Amino acid sequence: MARLIRTEKEVEGRYEEVWLVVEEDALEQWPAGPREIVGRPAARIDGLERARGEAVYTADLKLPGMLHAAVLRSPYAHARVARIDLAPALALEGVHAAIGPGELDVLVEECGFQGAAIAAVCADTYEQARSAVAAIEVEWEQLEVLIDPDEAVARGQLLGEPRLRSRGDFERGLAEADLVVTGEYSTQVVLHNSMETHQAVVQWLGDSLEIYISTQYIWGIRDEVASTLGLPADKVRVVCHYMGGGFGSKNGADDYTFIAIELAKRTLRPVRCALTRREENLATGNRNATIQRLTIGARSDGTLTALGGDYVNATGWGGWSSPVEGPMQMLYACDNVKTTTWAAKINQPPMKAFRAPGFVEGTFGLESLLDVLAAKLDIDPLELRRRNYADHDASDSRPYSGKNLLECYRRAEPHWERRHEVRARSTETVKRGVGMASQIWYGGGGPPSYAWVRVGSDGRATVITAMQDIGTGTRTAMAQIAAEELGIPLDHVLVSLGDSARGPFASISAGSSTTPSMGPAVRAAAADARRQIEEIAAQRGTPEAPLAEIVGLLEDAQILGKGGRGPNPAGMQVLTFGVQVAEVAVDVETGEVWVDRIAAVHDVGRVINPLGASSQIEGGIIQGIGHTLSEHRLHDPRTGQILTTGLDAYKLPTFADVPEIVSELIDEPDTQLTNLGSKGLGEPPIVPTAAAISNAIRDATGAEVHELPISREEMLRALREAAAKEKVGAPAGV
Amino acid sequence: MELRRASSLELDGGVPLHGGTELVPLLRSGILRADTLVDVRGVVPRGITGSTIGAGTTLAELEGAAQIPDALREACRLAASPQLRNVGSLGGNLLQSTRCWYWRLKWPCRLHGGDECFAQEGEHREHAIFENGFCASAHPSDVAAALVALGATLRTSKRELPVGELYRVPTEDDRRTTTLEPDELLLAVELEQCDRSVYLKAMERKRWAFPLVGVAAARTGDKTRIALAGVAPIPWLLEGDFEQATPLPRNAYKVDVAKALVKRAVAALEAG
Repeated sequence: MARLIRTEKEVEGRYEEVWLVVEEDALEQWPAGPREIVGRPAARIDGLERARGEAVYTADLKLPGMLHAAVLRSPYAHARVARIDLAPALALEGVHAAIGPGELDVLVEECGFQGAAIAAVCADTYEQARSAVAAIEVEWEQLEVLIDPDEAVARGQLLGEPRLRSRGDFERGLAEADLVVTGEYSTQVVLHNSMETHQAVVQWLGDSLEIYISTQYIWGIRDEVASTLGLPADKVRVVCHYMGGGFGSKNGADDYTFIAIELAKRTLRPVRCALTRREENLATGNRNATIQRLTIGARSDGTLTALGGDYVNATGWGGWSSPVEGPMQMLYACDNVKTTTWAAKINQPPMKAFRAPGFVEGTFGLESLLDVLAAKLDIDPLELRRRNYADHDASDSRPYSGKNLLECYRRAEPHWERRHEVRARSTETVKRGVGMASQIWYGGGGPPSYAWVRVGSDGRATVITAMQDIGTGTRTAMAQIAAEELGIPLDHVLVSLGDSARGPFASISAGSSTTPSMGPAVRAAAADARRQIEEIAAQRGTPEAPLAEIVGLLEDAQILGKGGRGPNPAGMQVLTFGVQVAEVAVDVETGEVWVDRIAAVHDVGRVINPLGASSQIEGGIIQGIGHTLSEHRLHDPRTGQILTTGLDAYKLPTFADVPEIVSELIDEPDTQLTNLGSKGLGEPPIVPTAAAISNAIRDATGAEVHELPISREEMLRALREAAAKEKVGAPAGV
Repeated sequence: MELRRASSLELDGGVPLHGGTELVPLLRSGILRADTLVDVRGVVPRGITGSTIGAGTTLAELEGAAQIPDALREACRLAASPQLRNVGSLGGNLLQSTRCWYWRLKWPCRLHGGDECFAQEGEHREHAIFENGFCASAHPSDVAAALVALGATLRTSKRELPVGELYRVPTEDDRRTTTLEPDELLLAVELEQCDRSVYLKAMERKRWAFPLVGVAAARTGDKTRIALAGVAPIPWLLEGDFEQATPLPRNAYKVDVAKALVKRAVAALEAG
């Protein structure tokens, strides 16, 4: 039964109080441990069609009569369109329509960043559209650029008010400390660079709109488009059957969708607007750069007495201020914590959510400085973290719904113990070491989300829900849950998803929320179907008969189960935890860093598919290694124009850069959370990777890196600094 | 744009196309314009005969060739990605343009005929530490550095010359970075006898990256020649030490990396 509740809703660390209609969740959790199907490794049920190229992505879609759009984007970081003439574009062969500044909200006259959309064209072929965009005549008035985030803060050019979060008395905490360490850390701009670029194919059918789009949120696109266009939401159908990655950058409709909609309207033809890899590197969001000025005070036994941070998010021309202070606020027990976070509005492309936004950056700073503290106090880094373990939410005193971080630490011990053997393999020029870092992040999901389960007389079931599988293996996990609940083989379950016209509402796939939001709804729907089948069996006088026998009586009748996601536990903080241990080698003459091995132990509640889970961990760690060592979106320091616009200059890790990855999951259901006790795993694995690597570098060499990526320049600088310190004798404490 | 297949070494004003891994991106970005592309795969020699290597030999063929000097084989193996090496030719590799982002993005820099080197005051962490006063671009070819160290000779459709003489440092009066004449086609490389050679490369990831610094060293008798990739607008024959390096504020690290790799390369030659 549905029920109205007042609750807090969290997406990637941002909270809002909302009224929610939720379904009661009366199902008992399954006992801990692997079941028949849930908790056992399952290959992806759509793996073959993806591998064979049969899966139709938005990028593959060709509708009859479809036109191709191309977008004119600002080449300057700050400029105004003084004059624009679309006529030369319209005069070219194959061109059907062109739109310019002011004709759509997403086409602007004043551009605050390179890559802002100002005009668009559609034509019979993409090449014609590109040529037409090149033919548009524009006179630009260039405006002063502001790029330095500190300068923007000094000038008060901010996105929103600075965020001040304080508990206890930070100054008193410093006074109580036996040792105070400080450090300035910075992180770079990195890009999502999903394999499938941002794109949509749009067609009008009368006054209804069909949008095929690479998205993380079918329903969000539907509502955003409907409200922008003033259409009833049910006139907008959004479809995404297969999706080539998003990592947080595909939560909204964005310029390309609205451009396709308008051009489709004007031409009465379907229109594709697919961004290029170059546009992907300019205008589709990023993990913004940060500057972190941190202070930690501690007693000589390692007890933290004060944590302080001044954080600057170099947010760009738009976006929001990511919770870069989150780890400092939440990871450890400490009575006196004070952080201030500024969002600098600068002439750079706007940030977007990117796999644990803020926490990846903030964990690098906090956990790096914590190891500096450990070394100065001569306390084992793992032991220091245990001594400051938080047994309730450190930031607002709420109990955790479940936390097994101590168990993660215990399971990490054998990996951590390897450091003696690893260090012993150092040579004169190649130093080896081991480092660790803790992980905290959200991932509890929440209501609402719904699923239907249809069972036919053949004993097969279809899960129907208008959710999206963004490449994480959601289809398979949902099939496992339904198969488990119904007691039928996994290959007897189909999952129909990806279409707002064919199934009920489902959650956004962001904030590690898909499995914890959708999984319980699927289980509830399957349980509803199973209950109906059991009732039929009871009526027949064969209550113990197997499902196949009962549904075999149905002929054309079907069993239709429905289920919804119940509420999150009231008054509790639902979080994910973990620890990673990295082994690295550093060539102290050339500054080269190798990551040899990363062991990851995460606590995300019940694991639905251990195979899918290890893939998520590997993917997160590999993306984390790119963030730590090689990826860097560079801009010209004078003009703010972007210099790395393709995958030749923007260096993602290659397979050769991937170390041995050992992944372990606690697999202990969160007893307070839903009928599954499962949390999300999309983001946790990327959170501690950079910090674990930088701490391993410190262990290997004594050098303290302060900047991501750890380029050869930064590595050699840190090594020189360490050598100079050693010469004058390391200062003992403060 | 027209594509025709070459039937002789005469290009007749056309632009030669072999593997296309460099040419096609330059055409697509509009840096290079061509009315006619000439597919030269049929007329440029391919394969290894004794000490002669056809300019049409792919990098993949060279990285698997046991009979060529280590420095050349390693330079090929450490270049690009397997896909690129399967089609990229030796001649094309030698004629690659710089990876300077300002040049690739068509900023009106000195190499494009303008009056400013944007990298000098701008983002130059991957740029030159030698001869960077006019243009700070870095030469990206691992293979060119190896061939300069190996003292190889180049045969073209018009002349023979040491590989190093294919390149020139651009100047105010002449912005070209090679001495290639119009309609001149690279045909083959002639290797000299060499006792031992080595190529070491520093890059930003383990594979598929241009050299931050590449060091080729070759020893014949008691004569050792060292050439560097990624440190000057041309493959850099190292004469003397690094005293003459003029690093920019954010690329001084390259001097350290180069020194370390040169030391190792020399040690490797001595060990043999």
